[in-house]
Amino acid sequence: MSIVHKDTPSTKWYLPGILSGMGLTIKKLFYNLFHRKKMPTLNYPEEKYEYSPRFKGNHVLTVKKDGSLRCTACMLCATNCPADCITIVAAEHEDPTVEKYPIHYEIDILRCVFCGFCEEACPVDAIRMGPEWQTPGLADDNFHYDIQRLAYRPQLKGGILSRVDDEERHQFGL
Amino acid sequence: MLKCKINGVEVEVKEGTTIIEAFKIAGQKIAHYCWHPGLSVAGVCRLCMVEIKGQPRLQIACNTPVQDGMEITNQSEQVKETVRWGLDFHLINHPLDCPICDQAGECGLQDQYMEFGLYTPEMAEPKVKKHKVVDLGSKIVLDTERCILCSRCVRFTAEVTKTYELGIFNRGDRSEIGTFENKPLENNYALNTVDICPVGALTSKDFRFRQRVWYLQERESICTGCSTGCNIKIYFNEEGLFRIRPVYNEKVNGYWMCDEGRNIYKFVNKENRLLKAKKGRKGEWLEMEGGAAAKDVAHHFKSLDKERIALVVTGQFSNEEYEALFQFYKKNVGNDFVYHWINNKESFEDFDGLLLRGDRNPNTKGLLQKLEDYRYEQTWAHLEENLKAGKIETLIVAGPENPLWFPDLKEKVQQWGIQLSHLIWLSSAKVQAVDEVECLTWQIPLKTFFEKDGTYVNYQGLEQKSHRIATIVPGALSLSEAAHLMAGEEYKVDMAPILKGPKKNYYVHRRGYL
Amino acid sequence: MEVKVLTKHYDKPEYRSLEGYKKYGGYEVLKKALGMKPEEIVAQVKEAGLRGRGGAGFPTGVKWGFLPNNGEPRYLVCNADEGEPGTFKDRMMMEKAPHQLIEGMLISAYAIQSKKSYIYIRGEYMEPYRIVEKAIQEAYDAGFLGKNILGSGFDHDMDVYRGAGAYICGEETALLSSLEGKKGQPKLKPPFPAVEGYLRKPTIVNNVETLAAVVTIVKDGPKEYRKYGTEKSPGTKIFSVSGNVLKPGNYEVPLGYPLKDLIYNLCGGLKPGRQLKAVIPGGSSAPVLTAEEAERATLDYECLAEMKSMLGSGAVIVIDDSNCMVDLLKVIMHFYHHESCGQCTPCREGTGWLDKIVGSIYKGEGRLQDIQLVEQVSKHMMGRTICALSDAAAMPAISFVQKFRSEFEFYVREGRSKVKEVIANA
Repeated sequence: MSIVHKDTPSTKWYLPGILSGMGLTIKKLFYNLFHRKKMPTLNYPEEKYEYSPRFKGNHVLTVKKDGSLRCTACMLCATNCPADCITIVAAEHEDPTVEKYPIHYEIDILRCVFCGFCEEACPVDAIRMGPEWQTPGLADDNFHYDIQRLAYRPQLKGGILSRVDDEERHQFGL
Repeated sequence: MLKCKINGVEVEVKEGTTIIEAFKIAGQKIAHYCWHPGLSVAGVCRLCMVEIKGQPRLQIACNTPVQDGMEITNQSEQVKETVRWGLDFHLINHPLDCPICDQAGECGLQDQYMEFGLYTPEMAEPKVKKHKVVDLGSKIVLDTERCILCSRCVRFTAEVTKTYELGIFNRGDRSEIGTFENKPLENNYALNTVDICPVGALTSKDFRFRQRVWYLQERESICTGCSTGCNIKIYFNEEGLFRIRPVYNEKVNGYWMCDEGRNIYKFVNKENRLLKAKKGRKGEWLEMEGGAAAKDVAHHFKSLDKERIALVVTGQFSNEEYEALFQFYKKNVGNDFVYHWINNKESFEDFDGLLLRGDRNPNTKGLLQKLEDYRYEQTWAHLEENLKAGKIETLIVAGPENPLWFPDLKEKVQQWGIQLSHLIWLSSAKVQAVDEVECLTWQIPLKTFFEKDGTYVNYQGLEQKSHRIATIVPGALSLSEAAHLMAGEEYKVDMAPILKGPKKNYYVHRRGYL
Repeated sequence: MEVKVLTKHYDKPEYRSLEGYKKYGGYEVLKKALGMKPEEIVAQVKEAGLRGRGGAGFPTGVKWGFLPNNGEPRYLVCNADEGEPGTFKDRMMMEKAPHQLIEGMLISAYAIQSKKSYIYIRGEYMEPYRIVEKAIQEAYDAGFLGKNILGSGFDHDMDVYRGAGAYICGEETALLSSLEGKKGQPKLKPPFPAVEGYLRKPTIVNNVETLAAVVTIVKDGPKEYRKYGTEKSPGTKIFSVSGNVLKPGNYEVPLGYPLKDLIYNLCGGLKPGRQLKAVIPGGSSAPVLTAEEAERATLDYECLAEMKSMLGSGAVIVIDDSNCMVDLLKVIMHFYHHESCGQCTPCREGTGWLDKIVGSIYKGEGRLQDIQLVEQVSKHMMGRTICALSDAAAMPAISFVQKFRSEFEFYVREGRSKVKEVIANA
C-alpha cells in the first residue's frame, strides 16, 4: 500500500476543514436532539431492529406432527451448499413409509454464507432459514449446530411444523 | 456381414445381430430398460421402438434382427412421440422417491426421461400403492413401487444363476417382483440384480443410504477376491471405498461378478488396515513409519543367520512384487526356503460353475510361474519340519490382503510366534494374532491393489494390469518397495494421491454446473 | 335367415353323446379324412378360405402351412379359453356337440400330422369341461383316439387342460405358456407358435369353431363351404348376441349377413319403445358402431374393418338408448385393467390409467381434458405391445369417446348421465 502525500493548499490549511466538519457534527447533534424519531441508528442491545419475516437467518429443521424430523436425508442441501457446511449421515428408519432419515445433521454455522440455497434445494420443506440472527458465542463455543439445536432449540418451542401436509401428499399418491 | 443404416450412419454387423445391438455398434442413443446384453430378450418395456423403412408399424429394436440394407431410425417424430409416451407410462405409477432413493443420480428413469421424456406429465389420478422396503434376504431390499417390471432381475435368477428365486406376482399394474415364501434371494450372485436394476427398486443393504452416488468417483480395476480376476469398477470418495461393481470383460467375467468379490473394498478401507508399522513383541510395540521399519529390518538383517531364514508367500501380490521380493531374497539370503502358503487346501480347486473359484488369490498362477523361474520348489511340509526342528529362526511372511480367506491364519501365526525368534510380517491387513506374538516382530503395512500398480495372472493364465488409484494408508509400502528397502537400498517410495478433504459432487465437477 | 351348418343338430339332446353323434353321421368324415393325404386336407381348408373364428380372422390353411418340415413333433391346441366379454359360442359348441370338436381336432391333427393335442378350456367353464372330458373318454373307448385310429396307422392322444380364468390366456402364446405350466403371459413373436410353440415345438392353436368348421369343409368339400358367405369371408359363423335384444343367444348365419337383420329379425329386435344406440360387433375389444353404422354394417371381416371395427369373435352386444356410454366404458376399462398381464408397460400402466380416468369421469370428478386424455392414452397404447390386449383396451376407448363425445362431455359438465333423463322421460 502506498500512501500518497498530497501537498496542496487545501491540505496545508486544515483548520477550515476541521471547522466545517465540527459544524456538520454539531448541526446533526442538534437536529437529532430535536428529531429523535427520525434518528437512523439504534441503541443496539436495548433496541432491536424488526427484520422482514423473509430474513434469512439461522437454520431451522422443521418437524412433522409427531415431532420427528421432516428431513429425509436426501442430501440435496448438502450438495447444493456452496460453502460445504452441511454434513448429514443417513440411516434406515423402522417405518417403511419414512424409510430414510438423518441420524446426524450438522451445519457449520461459521462456514455458512446464509445464501438460502439449502432451503431452495429441499424437496420436503425440511430446512428453512429462520428469523434469528443473533448467535454470538465465545471461541470455544460449538458452532457446529446439530439436530438438537437446529430443530428443537428452546426458541422454537418444540419445533416448527411445515405447511405441507404429509398425509395429504400420501393420499394423492405424491 | 450385413450392412444397415442407423440414423443415417452406415454400419456393418454380423448375421443375427438385433437392431439394438446395431445401435450400440453405431454409437447411436436408444432408450431401453428391459434389454440387457447379458440376458435374454423380454421385449416388455417397449421403449426401443424404431422405424424401419418400408414397415408401417414401429418395431422394437431388441427383438428384430438386422436384415441387409435395412434403414432404421429412431429420430422420426413418430418414434420420439412413442418413446415420450412410453416413458410417461413408466412414470405414472412410479413414486417421486428420488430424494430418498439410492439410485437417484444413476437412475435409468431419470437419465432417459431427461433425454427422451415428455416434460408435461398428464397423470392426475392417484398412483398405485405397493409394498415398500421389502426384505429379500440378507443382501437386498426391494421397493415394489419403484419397480418398473422390466424383469431383468427375474431373468437373471432364471438364466444366469438358475436359482429362480425371483418372480413376478399378480398381474396388470398390481404386478410385483417378489420371492417365494421362505426362499430369500441369497445366492452368491444376487447383488448383480441390484446392478442391472434400472431404477432403485433393488438396493444393496451394504450400500444403502451410505452415500449419494454423485459423491462417488469411479475407477476400473481388477478384483483380487479369487483367481478369476473379474474386471471391476470401484466407487470411492474422500471418506473411503463404498462399493464395487463388475465391468464387462468378455474373456473373464462377462457382465457379472460374485457377491463375495464385492466385499473386497472393505479390506482397503482404513478400518481393516494395518495403519502404522510396528516393531516389538506382545505388549511392547513401537510404532513407526513403514519405510523406517523396512530400513530397520535391513539394518537388523546383517546380524541374522542367513541359513536360518525362510520366506512365506501368498498368492495375493502382483508379478512385479514377486520379482522384487525374490530378487531381494536371492541376493540377501540366498537359500531356497521359499514356501507357498495356500489358504484353503481342501477347497482350492473348487469352482461354483459361474465365476467364483476356490483359490481365493488373485495371482496364484503368477506366483507359481515366478517360483518356477527362481527354482524354489520347497513344499509346505518342509517348512513345518524345519520349524519343528528349530532350523528356522527368522520368517519373512508376505501375508494376505484379506485375512478372512486364510482360515488357518491365527493358528499359524501363534505357532510361528512360539517357534521363531524373528518374524517379519508384511501385510496390508490388521491381524489381531500378529499383535500377540512373543518373538521380535516387524509389522510392515503394505499397499492394497487399490494403491499400487501391478500385473495379476488369473486362473486362465490371462495377464491383467491393475492400476493404482489413490492412497488410503499413507505410510504403506508395496511389496517391491518393502523388498528394496529391506535390502538396504536407497529407494524412493512412490505414492498415489491421498484421499482427504471434504467430499465433492463429482457430477458437477464433470459437467461444470449443477 | 339362420343357416345351420355347424349347429344343424344342436337341438337334439342325444347329439352330445357318442351314440347320438354317430347317429347323425358322426366320425364318418374322420374316416374319409384318414383316407386322404394330409396335404389334401390342408389344401382343401386353404381353398375353402376358412378364417380363424377366435378373433383375428387369420386364414387357417395358411397358418397350417407355416409349420416347418423339420421332423420335430407337432402339437395341436384347441383354444377354448373363451374370455371375450359377450362371447359364448364355444361354450355352446362344447356342451352341445363335444364330438364335433373332437372330430374336427382329429382331422386337423391328421392334416398337420400331430400326435398330441390339447383342449385348453377356460377355468370357469366347469360344465363344458366335464362334457368334453367325458366325450374324450368315449372317443378313446370307441377307438377314435389312441393308437392306430380306425386302422389307418395314425396315432393321436388328446388331453383337456383347464385354465385358471385369465382373459389373457385366450391369446395363443399366453395360452401356450399357461399350458407349459408357466404364468400365462404372451411371448414375443417371432418366433410364431407354428415354428416354436408348446415346449418350443411347432404348434397350431385354433379356436373351437374353426376346428369344428374343418369337419364341414372336409365333409362337403370347399366348394360347398364357399356357398355361404362372401368371397373373402366364406362360410357361416356363430354370432353370440347379447344386450338389449328380446331374444339373445347364439345364431349361426353366413358371413356377410346384415347386422340389422340379425338384430331385428333373428333376435326379435329391441324392447318396445327403445331406440338402437350402438352395437359392439365383435366382443368388448371391438370398436363400437353407432346405430347409423350398425344399420349399414354386414357381418363379415371386410365390411367391419372398413368401418374401423372388427368381427372379432362374433359377440354382438346391442346397446339401446337406456344405457349410459360412460358407464359401459367404465365397465370395459375395468375389465381390461383387471386382465392385463402386466408384462408390457404401455398396457400395464395404460389400462390402469384409462380405468382411473374413466372411473373418475363416472364418479363425476372428471375434467374436460380427461376426454382428450383418454384418446391420447389409447392412441399410444395401440400397436405398442407384445399381444393385442393393449389394442383391445384402447380401441373401444377411442371409439366410445370419439363417437359419443357429447355424452361424455355432458357427463363431465353436469356430473351425471344424460341417459337418466331419457329413462325418466320415457
